[in-house]
Order: sequence, then C-alpha cells, then structure tokens
Amino acid sequence: MAVVQDVHGHHDHHPSGIMRWVTTTNHKDIGTMYLWFSFAMFLVGGFLAMGIRAELFMPGIQILEPELFNSFTTLHGLIMVFGAIMPAFVGLANWQVPLMIGAPDMAFARMNNWSFWLLPVAGMLLVSSFFVPGGAAAGGWTFYPPLSAQGGMGVDMMIFAVHILGASSIMGAINIITTILNMRAPGMTLMKMPMFVWTWLITAYLLVLVMPVLAGTVTMLLTDRHFGTSFFNAAGGGDPVLFQHIFWFFGHPEVYIMILPAFGIVSEIIPTFSRKPLFGYSSMVYATASIAILSCIVWAHHMFTVGMPTVGQLFFMYATMLIAVPTGVKVFNWTATMWRGSMTFETPMLFAIGFIFLFVIGGFSGVICAIVPIDIQVQDTYYVIAHFHYVLVSGALFAIFGAVYYWLPKWCGRMYDVKLANMHFWLSMIFFNVAFFVQHFLGLAGMPRRIPDYSLQFADFNMISSIGAFGFGLTQLFFLYIVIKCIRGGEKAADRPWEGGNTLEWTLPSPAPYHTFETPPVIK
Amino acid sequence: MNNTEQPAEKASAMQVAKAVFWSFLGIRKKDDLDRDAKMIKPHQVVIGGLIGGVIFVLSILTLVKVVTS
Amino acid sequence: MTQGVTKINLEMLKKLLIFSVIMFGFGYALVPMYEKFCEVTGINNLLQPDVVDKNIKVDMTRTIAIELDANVRGLPWQFKPLQSNVKIHPGESLEVMYEISNVSDQEISGQAIPSYSPRFLEKYMKKFECFCFTKQVLKPGETRQMPVKFVIDPQIPVDVNTVTISYTFFALQPGK
Repeated sequence: MAVVQDVHGHHDHHPSGIMRWVTTTNHKDIGTMYLWFSFAMFLVGGFLAMGIRAELFMPGIQILEPELFNSFTTLHGLIMVFGAIMPAFVGLANWQVPLMIGAPDMAFARMNNWSFWLLPVAGMLLVSSFFVPGGAAAGGWTFYPPLSAQGGMGVDMMIFAVHILGASSIMGAINIITTILNMRAPGMTLMKMPMFVWTWLITAYLLVLVMPVLAGTVTMLLTDRHFGTSFFNAAGGGDPVLFQHIFWFFGHPEVYIMILPAFGIVSEIIPTFSRKPLFGYSSMVYATASIAILSCIVWAHHMFTVGMPTVGQLFFMYATMLIAVPTGVKVFNWTATMWRGSMTFETPMLFAIGFIFLFVIGGFSGVICAIVPIDIQVQDTYYVIAHFHYVLVSGALFAIFGAVYYWLPKWCGRMYDVKLANMHFWLSMIFFNVAFFVQHFLGLAGMPRRIPDYSLQFADFNMISSIGAFGFGLTQLFFLYIVIKCIRGGEKAADRPWEGGNTLEWTLPSPAPYHTFETPPVIK
Repeated sequence: MNNTEQPAEKASAMQVAKAVFWSFLGIRKKDDLDRDAKMIKPHQVVIGGLIGGVIFVLSILTLVKVVTS
Repeated sequence: MTQGVTKINLEMLKKLLIFSVIMFGFGYALVPMYEKFCEVTGINNLLQPDVVDKNIKVDMTRTIAIELDANVRGLPWQFKPLQSNVKIHPGESLEVMYEISNVSDQEISGQAIPSYSPRFLEKYMKKFECFCFTKQVLKPGETRQMPVKFVIDPQIPVDVNTVTISYTFFALQPGK
C-alpha cells in the first residue's frame, strides 16, 4: 500500500512551511496540532499547579498573594480541563478515528481546521487575562456567581474563552459523529468498530448535548454582568443556586466526556498487550452508553451543601452510586481481558494498568463522596481535590500518555526510547501518588481547598504533597524530551510495532502516509 | 454502507425493553446483542432509552419516598 | 469519497447543528423550569406569606433572643431596625419595625432579601407580613417604617437560644 500512496505523490500537493499548518484540512496534521496545543496548555496549567504547590509548601503566605493564588487555582482548573485534557482527546480522535474505521479523512475537513484554530485564540484569552487590570478570574473553575458576577475584565475574557472553546468542541463533536456514522469502510458495522471509536461516538453525543447548555450559562452570566439581566442576581429576583444547577447539568456529563475516551484507549491497549480480544466487547458498549445516560441525571451531587430537600439529596445519592455498576462492569472486563492472556508490559500497557489501578481508587473515593453525610463533611476540602485528581490525572491523563506511546510509532514511524519511556511511567506513578494520596488525609482532617494558607497541623502532608507535585511536573518535561527524541531520531518502527494490534491502523505503513484509505478497505 | 441492509423483521416492544434494561446494567450476551443489532432500529433504541430513563428516575424516586416516609 | 456521502454528511451536519441550537435553548428553558419546580415544591418562596396553624401553642417555658440586623447593598438608603433585639416565646406572634429612608434626590426602588442564622431557622420562622414580600419604592428624602409580623414555630430545636434575622436591601433596576 505504501507504494501505491507514493506513486500518487500526494505529498507535493500541500503547501509547505507555516502555511501548511494554517491552511491544512488533513486530519493527521490537525490531530498533531491538537496534541501539541494541548501539551502546551498542559505545561501552562502545570506551571500554575507548581505555583499553587509552591505556595502551599509551607504555612503562611510566601510567593503568591491570596488574590493571585485564587486566580492560579481558577485558571489551573480551566486550562487543564478545557485546554489540555479535552483537546488532547480530540487530537487523538482526529488522528485515530479515520484510521480505525478506514475513512480517508474527517467528514468536514474545512470545519475541522476551523475548530482547531479557535483553540489558540481561547488559550491566549485565558493566559493574557492574568495581565489585565483586576487580574484573571479568581472565583474557581466553576465560576459560581455572585463571585463571577463581580470581578473585572479577566472574568469577561474567561467567559469569551469558554464560549470559543465550547464552539470548537461542538464543531469537533459534530465532525466526529458524522465521520463515524457515515464514513466507515464497507463491512464495518457499528458493532465491529474498535472500542475507542465507540467511546468517542458516545462522548461526541454528550458534547453536543451539554456544551450548548454551558454556552447558554456563560451567556446568561455575561448578560447579568453587562446588560442588566438578573438570571443569577438575587437582588433582581434571580437565583445564584440556579447557576449551580445549570452549570452542573453541563459539568457532570463533562466529567464523563473527559473519561469515556480514556476508557476507549485502555480498551484498545489492554487487548493488544494481552494478545486476546477484548472480553465482553458488547457489554463494554452497553456500559459506555449506560454511563453516558446516567451521567445526565446525577448533577446535583456536586451541590449537597447548597441546601436541598432530603428527597433530592437521597435521589442524587442513589443515582450517583448506581453509576458504579456500569463502571464496575468495565473494570471487570479489562481484568478479564488480561486473565490468562500472554501479557507483556510495554509502556502503553504500563500506563493502562496504572490507569485501572488508580482510576479504581478515584472511583471508590467518588462513591464515598456520593454519600450525603460524608459529602457534607468533605465538600470543598482536599478530599475532593484528591478524588478528582485520581480520576482526571491518573485516569484521563495516564490514558492519554498510554495512547501517545501506543500510537507514536504509527504517527512518526519511529520507536520511542523504551527505557526512558518506562522511566517516565514509573516516575509519574510514584510522584503522582506522593502528591495526591496524602491529600485524602488533608481533606479528611478538614483542610479547605482554594486557600493559600493553612493551619500548622496540615504542614507535613502539604510538604509531602508539594514535593510529589514538583516531581510530577518535572517528569512531564522529561516526557517532552522523550517525544522529541523519538520524532528526531528514534529507531525505525515496523508497520505493526505491537504484534497484538489488530485494528485497521496497523495495516498501514509506519509512518502513516499523508493520505490513507482513499480506497476504502473491506472488512470481512 | 450499513444502511442498505434492511432488518429482517421489526423488533417487538419486549425485545427493545430487554435491550434497554441490559444496557442500563452494562451487560449483554453476545447472541442477544447480534439479534438486537439486526432487528432493533436506532429510533426504537432512543425511544426505549428515554422511557427506560423515566422509569429509572421514577423508581429511584419511589425508593426515596419509601425511605423518607 | 463520492458526492453521495458528502450529501449525507451535510444532512447530518444540519441535524446536529439544529440539535445544538435546541440544547442552547434548553439551557435557557431551565430558568423557568427551575422557577416552576421551586414554586410547585414550595422551595424558595421568599415572597409569599406563610400559613400558620391557628391553634399553635405558645411555649412559655422557653425564651429565644432575636437579634435584628439590616444592610443595604448599592443603594443610597439608610436602613435600620427600630430595636436591635427582642425576646420571644416560641409560638407567640410578634411585630418588629424597620425604618428605611432615601437620602438621595431620586426615586429609587429596592427589594429586601432575608437571611437567617442559624440557617435552619428558615424552616421555623413563619411570617404573615413582611416588607420583603414586595418591592419598596421611595421618593427622594422619604422615610418609611415597615413591620415584620412573625411567629417562631415551637418545634424549633431546644438548643437554639439566640437567632439572628437579617435583611439586605438590593437596588432594583428601573422598570422592574
């Protein structure tokens, strides 16, 4: 196939230099840009995290004034969620979805380019809001009013950034849905699609379902701030609690938007390195759909302390705990896939196993937080911080690392340095737990989140946590070095670098040619 | 494309209900799934899922009412 | 790919875009739905008088100290209770007076929002009459005395001896 591609000589058709990247409509170029953008934002968000941990290294105020500290926590959250994790998954979808279903490109190539180039604009808005009078938004990443109804220009810039990111996500999701539903190779029925494609299909539906609601919420906030409406303004007859309901109606599915593609990635990696087909493929599909549906009816478990009748609290508590059932089905299926497989432990597999191990811890602390009386105790403490970092960092982020190592040989035709990559895994694993495990104890002891100073009894655990966080941060610079080293001068990779890889992308040469599957492959 | 193959026969309401029920749990037998995939149309699943969701919510609400009364 | 696929794709795009716009509207539709929900379930009824059982028993064995507080946010008004604290037996109805005066030279309207400490006092505080049920319009220089009539439910937990009732006046935009 490589020969055929080269004869066509498509490589000459696209402009070179910077214009290639600005005008490109190629799903691989756009996927690459998404991934680099998300890594850049990951470093920015990481820098903010380092600032937070440096301030919390010791009691007292050392480096960051409280107002700036609040901006750091706020922007850390926003940038990591909307700038790093989500674009990374969209980037992976751009690269892999067409390759895995045998499509030549995404359905709307021009729109794909547009939805990428909106991102840097939003990123710039967020980062530059630090330098405007009044500073960046400081009311937490959930921007609850009345705090977000106050605040200066920085809050407006954040609102616009969220608008732009939302528009980009909606376009990306529409593109992915259309590609998956309409452009599969002949013979690839829905139930033959790789799990990664399935999880992305469901994620994309969740995105078009809830992203517009977020856009509506921030629009209401904007009109409240500048055009005299009173959606959330108590004085004008509005209700700040309403904001929380609408926000979490978006916010909880958003949590699953960030974890379902990770489930998909792990469901690709584990069978490959266990050399067995995925155990219970169909139940995986059903479980994913079930999680997506349940995620839409549990939002108020984020709001147990704002005041709610007991009936409401119990309803959301029961519904939340029931999500553990399909999630448990998934964990069971991954474990059963590994059972009696001939397993090997390449870097992607290490990350996938690390994912399962730590995600289960995060999942359990989630069930604990779902219990109303406990949640009222731990609301807004470091226990919650520890919980969602276990699902977002060792969940979503570890899956992304795994995906990068898994597909890097296909993307750039070269193998990463296995020794260094394994070291990256182990360092990440150790430092992550050092940084976040102790935060469970801090939270249970009552240390509140988003506070730059703390009382003395929290000092030791905070120091340990900060040391872990610095180590984790540095390890990610090491990741950058590994990827650059791989692109520049890694060993040549085989077309099928993992012998257990059975999905369509491994039938292509490495690196994947600029244009692939122009003649659709036929699936038996 | 897959749209060309017509389902052999229409699925009964019971079959859709069963498929939706198992999807809430997240488990499905392979044989049943193949039959579902052949016979149930997407709009049936969507309608079934919506009804299933309402039943699910109502049953939790009933449970809550029983617990709090 | 063939022209046919592009056409299917465009149709899909149209459907999904319409769906997104509907969901955007749904975000706004949540506002009246939320208000309706609160109205039906009786949560959040700040503006309606409470209905109190006529046969409510006065519990003479207990006395609760009530501290009255008044604040103004963003209004050129002066607002104060005429007495800063009162004592009451649970079940006994009581009237307290507040006074507002508009010290500016414009007609201004405002709305008072109550808040209670401890928070669960809201459940036991039954108001028949309150200036906070309606908006207040004050002419330039006008001063007005306004009552709050209420009773505290004797069901209130026995460990509560002191409570605070606070009102804050917020400015209303003209035309509201």
